[in-house]
Amino acid sequence: MSELKENLKAQIIEQLSLEDLTPADIKDDAPLFGDEGLGLDSIDALEFIVLLESNYGIKIADPSQGREIFHSVNSLAAFIESNQ
Amino acid sequence: MKITVSSYLSRRGAFLDTELKFGFREENWLKECYQQLEMDYPKFYKMDHLSKMAVLSTEIIKSGGILNGIQDDELELLFANANASQHTDLKFIESYEQQGNPSPSLFVYTLPNILTGELAIRNKWYGENTFFITPEFDETLFAERLYHSARKGSKLCLCGWVDSKLNAQSAVELEECFLFLVALSKEDTRNDSSSFAITLKELYTSYQASTLDN
Repeated sequence: MSELKENLKAQIIEQLSLEDLTPADIKDDAPLFGDEGLGLDSIDALEFIVLLESNYGIKIADPSQGREIFHSVNSLAAFIESNQ
Repeated sequence: MKITVSSYLSRRGAFLDTELKFGFREENWLKECYQQLEMDYPKFYKMDHLSKMAVLSTEIIKSGGILNGIQDDELELLFANANASQHTDLKFIESYEQQGNPSPSLFVYTLPNILTGELAIRNKWYGENTFFITPEFDETLFAERLYHSARKGSKLCLCGWVDSKLNAQSAVELEECFLFLVALSKEDTRNDSSSFAITLKELYTSYQASTLDN
């Protein structure tokens, strides 16, 4: 699981072009969206959908799940593990 | 029409009113600047090069407290550059040519005037904003536009020349951010704008010379 989280952090940085950040800057349980954490927004949610499809072959069937799935690196990793 | 404060930001350092405030040692000088200013604004990391420079420079301008207490619609934004969003445009092209997916988060920055939106969001400034693309720094354009703003009753305008360009190898060839805050009066005349243009050009030139000295 910890390897998956580290991979996810690197992929988030690459996919979202967050060139100033390193994986160490992203905490496992920090909110990814909103003013706290990474301050991501709805445009970035599209990037997460692309990331899940292209890197893990997972499609989100119910878009309303996005808020819960994309909350943090922890929730993203848990979703990937349970859907692979 | 009077410049009340100015700043200049480039890889060579951060300047306020022509004095060097601090220099940079890191390759990633924009992140170093963010840390020097002790900002806590995660959205910064998402921004394009132009917006990062504009937001950081504005923090430097604000550091003296001169913009404290202004009404949210009291300040106009007047910006320009020569290379539009070329820096992000090329990264966006790379995102779909090399990585296979056009990146939505890069796409939103493929217009240079997005930086005025970032300034508005960060500072809750809701006044008019304008962005021009000109072949080079055009002091007469700034002076003329400021004259018209003064005539219609504007009192304060934050102006900026924020430019960035990548070369054919995708390395940064040019990057600079020159900001100046202008106090306006309805009494300003065309003669004022002509002399202002000369002063503005001298100030811009002096910043470029001082960055070369450091």
